[in-house]
Amino acid sequence: MSRTADPAAAVMDLPRRDAPDKLAGRTRYTVDMAGPGTLHAAIRRADIPRGRIIRVESGVARQMPGVRAIVTAQDAPGTHGIGISDHPLFAGKEIRYNGEPIAAVAADTLEQARAAAAAIIVEVEALPPVLTMAEALSPSAPLVHEGWKDYGVLFEGGARKGNIAWEAKVVRGDTDAAFARPDVTIVEGCYEVGRQSHMPFEPRAAIATFEDGRLHLVTSTQVPWTVRAVTSSLLGIPSSQVRITVPPVGAGFGLKFDCTIEPVAALLAWKTGRRVSLANSRQEEMATCLCRENAQIRIRSAVTTEGEIVGREATVLMDCGAYGGEQIFLTTMTAHTLGSNYRLGSVRLSTRAIYTNTPPNGAFRACNGVYNTFALERHTDEICAAIGMDPVEFRRRAVFRDGSIGSTGQVFEGEVLVPMIERMEALKQKSGSREAEAGGRLYGRATTVGSWFVFVGPSAATVNLNADGSATLVTSGVEIGSGTMVQALPQIVAGQLGIRPQDVVVKAADTDAAGYDVGVGGGRTTVSLGAASVKACEDVLSKLLPVAAEMLQTSQDNLVLGKGRIEIAGRKGSGATIASVAQRAQALHGPVTGSGSFTGQGVPSMAGCAMGHFINAIDIPIFAVHDCEVAVDPDTGHVEILSYKVVQDVGRALNPRAIHGQIQGGVVQGLGYALHEDVTIDAKGRIAQDSFETYRIPLAQDVVPVEFELFEGAPSIGPLGVKGAGEVPILNVGAAVACAVANATGKPVSRLPLTPPRVLGLLVSDEPPLDHPHIGKDWSSNVIALPQSVRAG
Amino acid sequence: MTEANSGSDVLRPITIAGALDALGGGRQIMAGATWLMRAPVRGEAPPKAAVLIGSIPELQQISIGQDQVTLGAGVTHTKLAEALAGVPALKGLVTAASRAANPPIRAVATLGGNLCTAAFAAGDLSPQLLALDARVTYATKDGTQDMDMSQFLAARGNLSGGLLTRVRIPLGNFRSAHARLPLRKAGDYPVAIVSARMDQNESLMRRVRIAVGSVEATPRRWSGLEAALEGQPYDLKAIADSAGSLTNEFTGRDGVEADGWYRTKVLPALVRQVFEDLSMQFAERP
Amino acid sequence: MTMRLFINGEERSAAVHPLTPLVDVIRDELLLTGTKSVCREGFCGACTVHIDGVPTMSCLLPVIAAEGKAVTTIEGVGGPGNMNAVQHALEEHDVVQCGMCFPGMVMSMTAYMERRPAAPRADIKAAMSGNICRCTGYERIIDALLSIAAKEDTTA
Ligand SMILES: Cc1cc2nc3c(=O)[nH]c(=O)nc-3n(C[C@H](O)[C@H](O)[C@H](O)COP(=O)(O)OP(=O)(O)OC[C@H]3O[C@@H](n4cnc5c(N)ncnc54)[C@H](O)[C@@H]3O)c2cc1C
Ligand code: FES
Ligand code: FES
Repeated sequence: MSRTADPAAAVMDLPRRDAPDKLAGRTRYTVDMAGPGTLHAAIRRADIPRGRIIRVESGVARQMPGVRAIVTAQDAPGTHGIGISDHPLFAGKEIRYNGEPIAAVAADTLEQARAAAAAIIVEVEALPPVLTMAEALSPSAPLVHEGWKDYGVLFEGGARKGNIAWEAKVVRGDTDAAFARPDVTIVEGCYEVGRQSHMPFEPRAAIATFEDGRLHLVTSTQVPWTVRAVTSSLLGIPSSQVRITVPPVGAGFGLKFDCTIEPVAALLAWKTGRRVSLANSRQEEMATCLCRENAQIRIRSAVTTEGEIVGREATVLMDCGAYGGEQIFLTTMTAHTLGSNYRLGSVRLSTRAIYTNTPPNGAFRACNGVYNTFALERHTDEICAAIGMDPVEFRRRAVFRDGSIGSTGQVFEGEVLVPMIERMEALKQKSGSREAEAGGRLYGRATTVGSWFVFVGPSAATVNLNADGSATLVTSGVEIGSGTMVQALPQIVAGQLGIRPQDVVVKAADTDAAGYDVGVGGGRTTVSLGAASVKACEDVLSKLLPVAAEMLQTSQDNLVLGKGRIEIAGRKGSGATIASVAQRAQALHGPVTGSGSFTGQGVPSMAGCAMGHFINAIDIPIFAVHDCEVAVDPDTGHVEILSYKVVQDVGRALNPRAIHGQIQGGVVQGLGYALHEDVTIDAKGRIAQDSFETYRIPLAQDVVPVEFELFEGAPSIGPLGVKGAGEVPILNVGAAVACAVANATGKPVSRLPLTPPRVLGLLVSDEPPLDHPHIGKDWSSNVIALPQSVRAG
Repeated sequence: MTEANSGSDVLRPITIAGALDALGGGRQIMAGATWLMRAPVRGEAPPKAAVLIGSIPELQQISIGQDQVTLGAGVTHTKLAEALAGVPALKGLVTAASRAANPPIRAVATLGGNLCTAAFAAGDLSPQLLALDARVTYATKDGTQDMDMSQFLAARGNLSGGLLTRVRIPLGNFRSAHARLPLRKAGDYPVAIVSARMDQNESLMRRVRIAVGSVEATPRRWSGLEAALEGQPYDLKAIADSAGSLTNEFTGRDGVEADGWYRTKVLPALVRQVFEDLSMQFAERP
Repeated sequence: MTMRLFINGEERSAAVHPLTPLVDVIRDELLLTGTKSVCREGFCGACTVHIDGVPTMSCLLPVIAAEGKAVTTIEGVGGPGNMNAVQHALEEHDVVQCGMCFPGMVMSMTAYMERRPAAPRADIKAAMSGNICRCTGYERIIDALLSIAAKEDTTA
């Protein structure tokens, strides 16, 4: 049916229904659910970065007090992965990173499990590790995966070779010709970022039981269906035999796309026949965190004096650590994070996921976008300096307009970025400058743009309209803290059905009850689950409205829904309550239920532009403009944020207050990334920062209130015109801070984070500009092989 | 021996003598426990045996006399800062105690615990007490020993079987200041600390004491800078310049949070900060 | 060894080693899971409880040190239906996200706001240096806390 509810009916500042319990400590997260009688598990991990396992002997450990079971690679010999199936649950023959699981123990108490795990005898032959991407790319480097050629390929199209786990390329137009033009200035820069650790307050944790012969996992995850699939495949049981339920998640930020805890808990539950709880200690959580990857970037651009970018070439190296994981998929993102914001006459991009003997990396809020935006915006400011153009003016001229073409040939619709820049200029004007607060310190300011997108993907929803006039929404969505499940979704359903959002019951994810879903992240929840919910509501209405029309003796077209009633348009007080119509419908035809599903339609791109990409074009682009003022202490290198401003493209703001929360939280996480959060790999291949003491996330005194404006009305295929709002706030924070610090200091800022020692280092030394010798200046030296057609062109 | 609560592994004596008797059998002194209870995070075994000293009234005493302040080793950072808020000469110590760590930690972490943790390079109180010419009393079963801070800091790694009971700070016509540099605004350990005291004098800097903490493994006085400033007129730029030319007296320690060069490089800025603070304090004086 | 605790107005006991961190006794023995164990090193504040009214990090407090004192956990300060002023303000301002930090945040800030009801923004921020939140970016928490005093001003 075609009937659409007024989207405005879904817009409100609905309070979170989970707040009172969360504020009172009553909410039970996975880590709170072990309870008495549950076995506790501990993992024995490798303490070298690379080596051959000669012997794992668990006989003595098995005899220790309280020990119920020990599992090793022999119990789960399979592998999993994204794109490439390269990742075993336990190291069997080879150790590929420090911290890699070798065995796991279940015992009556956690102390006993840990003691036994420590007592397992692991004999290894240490081998020289590959700890950096530069080492990994050197011709003489040992292979992190000697058998890389034999791995199962789960997604075709990526070039691979040795330590290059995956390579994605974009080639559009003739960059050689562009760089050869006599009227262009050529600007080149290298950039580098470290890892970022998510630090969710709840670590990865799961509780496994076998119930009536089926595995039930209660887990802190963002991707219940992935956990279902991976666990069943590693255990060798049908996925229909696995049930995943997800209590409120103590934050995810992308880390909980992981699926390395659940299969271990499941194996131990299977071996013992008991309920088994496995949760990472904070040190384990940080030492094996699937961080936002460290990356190295080289960008080269040919620009006219008028600010037209006629050619751009870039190579991005992403460290995937010991296993490909998300990075293989994320190589796709560069096409959009480096290629969907400025108009490019011609472009060549190469993105390589590199294996190293370090803990695997993963997904983190605005994956890949955060550092590519940093590199791109620093590069853009370097272009502005080289051609002598004001940075805001340059961006006005060079960013996407209605009909601009992305790197893969996708056409972008609507005037979005230019009016957003104007909104930011107006906001800056209105709020004035904080320069006076810099005192004797160096003052700097920068405005940056960025582009992100929603990865849409499939979702399913069921809506039951109950006879009491309430509705129950059943999906595989997970509440990870962003509020989607307690605000946006009930608002959408309520708006569609004309009932109060309080009367929409939202069922927590349970793969036994709800249909397939890709998972919560990438800003897709409101969009995909929302769209599926809208369709389910339409299904409900298609059953409800005929009954109402008959009850009210009018045609369906005359009916309007609102405030729990179905009325005849223009006649207030006419009609009946939705509850009474639902009762009538139930009596006539049975309970009213609706189901809906959704997936991205796919957007056309130019044939042949993109190679090794999981998606060639993006369904919903999202743009952001950020502005930042800083004061830099010339004596200590401390950077203070004086002001921070955001203009964010949200499509339609369903719950402006909740979006404010996401913007403030996301920007602050970005400030951590830009200024404080440093992850380094030590000589033993370990993440050196494995505690709150050493990994510094921002505290209250380090942050400022973010001024923001929501830009509404840009085109979106999302339900009611929404776009995801939770992921993008972090996107250009690193960029804005770095550009502001460069502006303040006059120094080439090429690395993040800008910790005080790094900034002071910049100020006191005359380091040459950053260079990555292992990324060739000639772009084609950074690709494995180009198809004949492209080489010829 | 008197015990508030007994169990063979964990004892809670109520007198200093009782505490000394209780030592042995693998038991270590436990005061605020904020260092000891973090053993697992450092990869060490959690404490299983201890002598808790929180119930010993003598260790909680604070006495503020005409020419000396005496602090029991069990005094917490919070109590110390509150009690000395009205002693203008000890502003530096108040700053150290009220800016270290975070509020709930300050409410339990003790003076004695802060001074006795030899493995902790970034402590705030010891450089300040060094600058203040403080003396400590260390009690063992064989008697008590009185040491100045330098002696104590040199010896603390090897002291055992005893108890730090009190710290005495001479008072006089001087002012003190404390500058600490965490990497965030607050909440983390300072990567470098400069503590200083100086006599009130109309024109010249007298009895200047400067101590540096967190830069090396153990805090120590900056004798070269003290000598360079002694008797000189107060001139902030000249002070910072002297500091700049004398930072090579220190070899900064490399740590996860900062490399050694950074710790020494920021010292002149911290020196400038403490001397600015001192001059403001002198200006305030009635 | 049996440890006796006076917790949320009740006598409770637990057979644990006297140096067990209080947070483990609260969560694993008394099954009061509102108090969170996150960093176990005194930095994050998620484990904050009141000991005789003073906010204390229960991850670093050996249970024996809490004997003979009044322990209050988040379960003891109020819940849905009878929230205290801090909880109310935080709910009203829609600041909760994942929620893991909030039990500790509520404990610390309840004690602080009682002592300094008119504290300015900067002081509240300094008082919060032992409470980390990874989700919210703090400022809206501070807005909520400032609203408590503002409200009392207008109702007084
Ligand atoms: C989150 C956090 C942040 C911190 N930040 C700072 C900071 O910024 N600046 C700073 O200075 N400190 C900081 N600290 C360190 C803190 O101050 C120390 O942990 C504390 O001072 C130790 O005191 P305690 O009473 O808790 O000692 P305990 O843990 O009880 O004992 C520490 C050591 O001292 C011994 N000991 C204790 N008392 C005596 C005594 N009277 N005689 C002999 N031996 C004794 C113990 O046997 C043990 O070896 C921080 C700590 C934490 C947890
Ligand atoms: S768990 Fe106690 S302070 Fe973090
Ligand atoms: S709301 Fe998630 S840590 Fe604060």
